[in-house]
Amino acid sequence: MKKMGFKEFLYILPVLLLIGVFSLWPVIQSFTYSFFDYRLNDQTKSELLLSEKFNVELFNERSFYVERFLNQSKENITSEEDQNRVETVIEDLNQLDQQFEGQEGIIKISGDTTEQVLAVYESASQLVRDLSEKYELVQEENLPLLIDDIKNSLVQSNFIGFDGYIKALTDDRLQYSLGVTLAFTIISVFLELVFGLGMAMIMNKAMQGQGFIRVTSLIPWAIPTAVAALMWSYLYDGHYGVVASIFESLGLISNSTDLLQTSIGGISAVILADVWKTTPYMAILLLAGLQNIPNSLYEAASIDGASKVQQFFKVTLPLLKPSILVALLFRTLDAFRVFDLIYVLTGGGPGGATETMSVYAYKVMFGQMNFGYGSVIVMIMFICVAIIATIYVKVLGTNLMEKN
Amino acid sequence: MAKPKHPNGAKKWPFFSVLLIYLAVVVFPFFWVLITSFKSNGEIFGDNAFGLIPQNPTLEHYVTVITEKGMLHAILNSLIVSTITTVYIILVATLSAYAISRFEFRGKNLLLGLILAVSMFPQMIVVGPIYDLFLSLGWTNSYWVVLPYSSITLPMAVWILVTHFNQIPLALEESAKIDGATPFQTLFKIVFPLAAPGVFTTAIIVFIIAWNEFLLTITLNANSNFHTVPVAISFLRTQFEILWGQVAAATIIVTIPTLIIVLLFQRQIVSGLTSGGVKE
Repeated sequence: MKKMGFKEFLYILPVLLLIGVFSLWPVIQSFTYSFFDYRLNDQTKSELLLSEKFNVELFNERSFYVERFLNQSKENITSEEDQNRVETVIEDLNQLDQQFEGQEGIIKISGDTTEQVLAVYESASQLVRDLSEKYELVQEENLPLLIDDIKNSLVQSNFIGFDGYIKALTDDRLQYSLGVTLAFTIISVFLELVFGLGMAMIMNKAMQGQGFIRVTSLIPWAIPTAVAALMWSYLYDGHYGVVASIFESLGLISNSTDLLQTSIGGISAVILADVWKTTPYMAILLLAGLQNIPNSLYEAASIDGASKVQQFFKVTLPLLKPSILVALLFRTLDAFRVFDLIYVLTGGGPGGATETMSVYAYKVMFGQMNFGYGSVIVMIMFICVAIIATIYVKVLGTNLMEKN
Repeated sequence: MAKPKHPNGAKKWPFFSVLLIYLAVVVFPFFWVLITSFKSNGEIFGDNAFGLIPQNPTLEHYVTVITEKGMLHAILNSLIVSTITTVYIILVATLSAYAISRFEFRGKNLLLGLILAVSMFPQMIVVGPIYDLFLSLGWTNSYWVVLPYSSITLPMAVWILVTHFNQIPLALEESAKIDGATPFQTLFKIVFPLAAPGVFTTAIIVFIIAWNEFLLTITLNANSNFHTVPVAISFLRTQFEILWGQVAAATIIVTIPTLIIVLLFQRQIVSGLTSGGVKE
C-alpha cells in the first residue's frame, strides 16, 4: 500500500469531479429547490430569489408609456390642480428612470427604493382613477394595466421555507403514490425473491443447457425497461392483447379490459411485468451464491440424517443469506425508484392508480414545470431510500464494506 | 460451473418441467411480439389477433418503423451515447478503482461509501438540477447527456473494478517498480492487461446500463434527433392510436443488439453482475 501523494490524488480526481458535479451537487440543489416556489414556466418564479428583486426592463418599458400617455392626456385636463398632480407623477417616474439607468434584467434593490416604487404606483393609480372620471384620457383602458405592471416589476421572493413540505403532508395524491410505491416494492421484490430463489435452486440442479438457460434469463434483464414496458402494454391490451385474453379465459379477470382499466388490474399488471423482467436476474445472482456453497456440506448434512427441507433451512439459507441480502437491498431500492416501467406501461393510470412517487415527481417537474414542489417529492423519496438503506445495512452488518 | 450429479433420475422430471415452464414464460412475450410483427394491421386488430400464424406475412411494419419512425437513427444514437459513456467511464473508473485498491489514503472508506450511496439515489433527484444546468449551458438536445450518465454507471463500474483489482497480486507491480516503471506505466502495462477480463466485463455492464437509460434522455433531449432507443420506442405509444404492429417490429429490431451482446458475453455479464456485490 502506498501513501497518497498529489500524484496519487490525480487518480481519483476525475471520479470526484464527475460524482461531485453530476451526483452530489444535484442532490444539494434539489434540496435547495424544495424550499422555493420554483416554477420554470412562470417568469416571476423561474429563479431562486431569497430577497425581493426588481425587473428593470419591465419597469423602464412601462414607465415610458405611462409618462407618454399622461403627457398626451394633459391637453384634456382643465383643472390646474390636476395638471400639477400629473406633473408630479411624471416627475417621480422620471426620477426612478434615472435611478435605474444603464441597468438591465432583474436586479437587487434596496428597501427604500422598493417603497419609492410602491409609492409611485399608488399615486399613479389613484391619479388615473380620479382623472378618468372627469376627463377623456389617452389610452384610458390600457393605462391602469400599464401602471399595474410598475408594481409587478417588483419580483417577490419565492422562498417558502417548509411550506412545500407542509403541503406534502396534506397532499392526498402524494400519500397515495407513496402507498403505490411501497406496495409495488414489497410485493414485486418478495415475488422476485421467492421465484428467483426457486429458479436458482432448479438451475443449480440442471445438468444440461446451463448456457441456454443463462442466455434466456439474461435477456429480460438486458433489454431496456421501456421496451419491455411497451411490449407488455401490447400483451395487456384489453382488445388485442393475448395475456389479457388468457387471463380472462382462466377466470383471473372477469373482462379482458379490466387489466389496464381498474386499479387492482393496473397494479397487478405492473407488478407482473416487473417480476417477469427481474426474476431471472435475481435467479442468476442467487445461483452464483448457491454455487459457492460446497457440496460437502450437503453430504455431511444428509449423513447426519437431515431431510431436504432441513438442508434448505439449515444449510442453504444461512450460507446464502449475505447474497440474498445484497440482492434484496439493490432490488428494493430499484423497485422503490421505479419510473420507466410504469411511465411507459400505464403512464400512472388508470386515473393515477399506478402512479408511483417517481412518476408523480416527474409529472410535477416536467409536466407542470413546478421544480419546487417536484423537489419536495424527490426529497421525501430520498429520505425513504435512506431509511431503507440504513435498515438493510444494519442487518447486513459491515459485510458490504469488509470485502474491500 | 460445477454440476452436482443427481443420483436418482426419476426425481429430475419435476425439476425439468418447472424449468421448461420458466423458460416458456420468459420467452413467450418475445415469441408473441415476433409473430405480431409479421401480421398485417387487419389481422392484429381483427380476427387473427390471437392466431399463432400470420395469414399473410408482411414486412410492412419493419419498413415503416425504419423509414418513418427513425428507429435506425435511434439505434445509432444509442450506439454513440453508450459507446462514449463506456469509454470515458471505464477510464475514470479504472483510475479510481486502482487508487482505491492500491493506495492508502484518508477518507477511502468515505469515498467508497459515497460511491455506494450514489448508486442508491433515486435518479429523479438529480434530474431537475441537471436539466437546469443543461438549459443554462445550452447543452440540451446534444450528446452531452453522456456526462450525467455517470451518476448511474460510475458507482457500479468502480465497485466491480475494485473487486477485480483486489484479486490481482501485488508482487508483479512491486517488481515493475523495482525495474523503474512509473505508477502510471505499472497501471497500464502490468495491471491493465491482467485486469483486462474484469475491465471488459465492467465495460459490457456499463454499456448495457447506458443503452437502457431512459429518464435523462427523455428530459434533457426532447428533440427526436437525439432520442435513444428506449425513448424513441416509448413515443410509439404516446401517439393517439397505438399501432401494435409497429410496436412489435420496433421491439424486435431493438432487442437484436441486446440479444447479440448477451449471446456473445453471457459469462462476462454474469461474472460482472455477481462480482458487484454478491460474490463472497
